[in-house]
Amino acid sequence: MLSRSTLVWVATAVVAATAAFVGAKAFTIYQAPRMVMSTIEDTIAQRAGGWNACWHNRQFGPVPGGAKRANPDSVVTLMAYDLFNGPVRVSGETWPDYWSMSLYQQNSDNYFVTNDRDIERGKFDFIIALPGHKLPDHKFSAANTRRINSPTNKGIMLIRRFVKEEADMPALLENQDLMRCNPLALHDPVG
Amino acid sequence: MKIVVGFVISIAAAATGAWAGYDNAKGLIRGGDSIFDTFKETESGWLFSDDIGSSNASLLERARIAVGGPLGLSSSEVLYFIALNDSEGRRLTSSCSYVVTGVPIDTRWWSLTLYDSSTQNYVENTQNRSSWNSAVLPKRKDGSWQIIVSAQSSEGNWLPSQKIADQPFELNLRTYNPSDKTRQAAPDIALPIVERTGC
Repeated sequence: MLSRSTLVWVATAVVAATAAFVGAKAFTIYQAPRMVMSTIEDTIAQRAGGWNACWHNRQFGPVPGGAKRANPDSVVTLMAYDLFNGPVRVSGETWPDYWSMSLYQQNSDNYFVTNDRDIERGKFDFIIALPGHKLPDHKFSAANTRRINSPTNKGIMLIRRFVKEEADMPALLENQDLMRCNPLALHDPVG
Repeated sequence: MKIVVGFVISIAAAATGAWAGYDNAKGLIRGGDSIFDTFKETESGWLFSDDIGSSNASLLERARIAVGGPLGLSSSEVLYFIALNDSEGRRLTSSCSYVVTGVPIDTRWWSLTLYDSSTQNYVENTQNRSSWNSAVLPKRKDGSWQIIVSAQSSEGNWLPSQKIADQPFELNLRTYNPSDKTRQAAPDIALPIVERTGC
């Protein structure tokens, strides 16, 4: 016959094990997308030469060994942003074929997407900011400038351009080179 | 003394429980095909989810998608359809050949990409072809089309699968900027039929 104190400790151990199981499982599932995003952000920042800078894929077609289940028909531009020190600005021109810009917050949700059909005159100018950021209007506003509030300090910007054939690549590289991606204070918008 | 032993046992039990919980979660989001576990199966056998990139996704669904296919677009922009099986419900494998037959899809453009299910990445091949898209794929007069999926090169619109036998693969159909009609009907739209032609 087990003593009462032994039974209490056994019950405590069972409750502790169960609570730890449930807690660790929930935390791991909650944390997984954030860890994936951090890994991708670090990779982008490394390739781009830092955060709040763009990295352009310059290759046509499938590039084995890259991101899982990537689309080989899109040539992408990526930026890992960090708004801790202020807003970030991205500007450039859209693409004659399908073009989209999507933003991902730290839990991996695609919280914003726009495409070439939404953008007038083929020129885009986005300021990615936190809701609390104040923008100095007189210096940075332009007719086509649009502010987007990021739910999280860090995140990823991804531009997709649909490229039909390799012959489109020279024009696409020019389009990429026109882009500006930097902290707002350093930005010299396109056009 | 009893208190110390009991306390140590409780700490050990909690540590074991935490490890088991972590291991259990890792199994649920292990990558591979698990990304599709919460996808709905359409009448034609393709898998579909409206929750890619969406804030409506459950924690588990979000984790699986982030691990297995990060940076997907929300369904306001793209509808994703996945084929793991042929029209008879048999797993797609590099040991067999298939014909994928489709009709026009009311969308701005679409692409059909083949991924190795083990790596969730492209299959390297001499053609450097992992996909066909609606802009370049030769079609019949009525707009219908065929793609041959096989390890061995084939005449026509060939999409190479793995050279090594018995390797599972998947087909991923992306429809960009679908029309309102397509979006409202999704996932029950006329999707391609994947028929096995030989092994």
